[in-house]
Amino acid sequence: MPLINEQARIIENECVGPRLYLMVLQAPRIAESIEPGQFVHVKIPGMADHILRRPFSVYATNPATKTIDILYQTVGYGTDFMTTLTADEGALSEVEVLGPVGRCWMPPEHTQRALLVGGGVGAAPLYMLAEQLVETRVHTDVILGAQTEQALVCRGRYEVLLSAGTTDQVAPLCSTDDGSFGRAGFATSLVAEALEAAGQAGKQYDYVAVCGPEPLMRAVADLCADAGVYCEVSMERRMACGIGACLSCVVETTEGKLRACVDGPIFEATKVVW
Amino acid sequence: MGLNMGVNLGGLLMKNPVTTASGTFAAGREYNDFVDVSALGAVTTKGVSLHGWAGNDTPRIAETPSGMLNSIGLQNPGVKHLMDVDIPWLNDQGATIIVNVSGHSFDEYLAVVDELEQACVHAYEINISCPNVDAGGMTLGTDPACVEAIVKKIREATKRPLIVKLTPNVTSITDIAKAAEAGGADAISLINTLLGMSIDAERMQPTMARVVGGLSGPCVKPVALRMVWECHQAISLPILGMGGIMNGIDAVEFMLAGATAIAVGTANFVNPCATQDVINGIADFCERHGVRDVNELIGALKC
Repeated sequence: MPLINEQARIIENECVGPRLYLMVLQAPRIAESIEPGQFVHVKIPGMADHILRRPFSVYATNPATKTIDILYQTVGYGTDFMTTLTADEGALSEVEVLGPVGRCWMPPEHTQRALLVGGGVGAAPLYMLAEQLVETRVHTDVILGAQTEQALVCRGRYEVLLSAGTTDQVAPLCSTDDGSFGRAGFATSLVAEALEAAGQAGKQYDYVAVCGPEPLMRAVADLCADAGVYCEVSMERRMACGIGACLSCVVETTEGKLRACVDGPIFEATKVVW
Repeated sequence: MGLNMGVNLGGLLMKNPVTTASGTFAAGREYNDFVDVSALGAVTTKGVSLHGWAGNDTPRIAETPSGMLNSIGLQNPGVKHLMDVDIPWLNDQGATIIVNVSGHSFDEYLAVVDELEQACVHAYEINISCPNVDAGGMTLGTDPACVEAIVKKIREATKRPLIVKLTPNVTSITDIAKAAEAGGADAISLINTLLGMSIDAERMQPTMARVVGGLSGPCVKPVALRMVWECHQAISLPILGMGGIMNGIDAVEFMLAGATAIAVGTANFVNPCATQDVINGIADFCERHGVRDVNELIGALKC
């Protein structure tokens, strides 16, 4: 797919949880071509002295409205400023969006059982994959972890999706650091149990996809390696160009330093040197 | 109408004054959806060494007010890969090619140029100014005697246009420029990045793994303009000017200060069409000012 750089109108930009915001952008050409796991590189208007773009995963697309949803967490000046943008403020109601960038999630052919693991905002870049798997009638289980119940902002959408699917799991399994919802602690223990239970039942997963903080991804990658399950991770790095030229965002891998932007962001877990 | 955009950079004929700053454009292919590389005055490729270099650890960049720091460390797959993969592609596109040559030693620079003599490229830019490698790079470019010696050696190895890229991290840029001229360079390019540093106070840690890095973007433009202007007065070689050029007007400023050609760097990260936009912006300026030949702008600053 060719890369597209398009002006996107902000349709919505709302706080949905602690330091968590949902931005809906009308980006027709990217909305129709983006694949699960790919990202967009966004130039935020109104920050003249902050010149770089920011990469954001795409949470969902809506073909009818030609929009993409971005779930973002405020982590610094750029994302703080982003929260002030609104749908109706002239030049500040449009952002420049470059995409779709990167390697998408690639479940092995003939995958019958998949487990998706999202930590924090990492739940978002897995949602389109979940849609795709459910649509192709793959048994799909989802584990979500967050600091608090309020931060489990993707849970509702996953519940709707899973309950309409063919899987016996009708809601994502959840963990919270403070125990306010689901299992108290990290998502890793839920993943370990799920892999073990599936293995014991003779119905091991064919594929695990994980996105979240690196310690979570690494722990899940290790569990999958032990269980002999194919696993993919979504790597995040500081980026400049976002299209493979500048070599800012490299990830240490068994094949040397690869670019998170175009060789990733999705990598086969066993390739990553943590 | 009838505007001549062509310039001659020390024997390198460019269809317009715009090339890319090494390291910001790879070898052009990544920008293929946005820019026709054959429409550029030249493509300057990412610095290449004899064998591949792995580069530095991450984080490799930091955003800074009106600019950025980088410490990539000249990660590259080596000259053979460039010759097997990138140069043929650029040749197929009809691009004019400047190869940025890097090395850890005099011998490595010479070995890279030796290899490239077999390839269809149009000029060399000798990188004696990278602030992000421990050996070679900037350590060579800050001593006039050293600069003259390395340029002289490479001069003996090639008849192709030889551009020497200077570091701004020196007391007197004109002393270095004169040394490059004395060594037999056909042109100089400047500025490479300014050595800088960024700190994350909350974590009490440096923002980048290598602690220091090279500053680029609009924040360096005043320094770059001053250095181009000083060199233009001090030597007779043509100058490839760069440092924070974001649009056509920025490019015209460099030409007025004495640059024959200009390079677009950090702007490529912000706007993937930046090179073509700069070409259009220069042409637009010329039309507005009744300039028939872009060469009229070179050094035309009214002081």
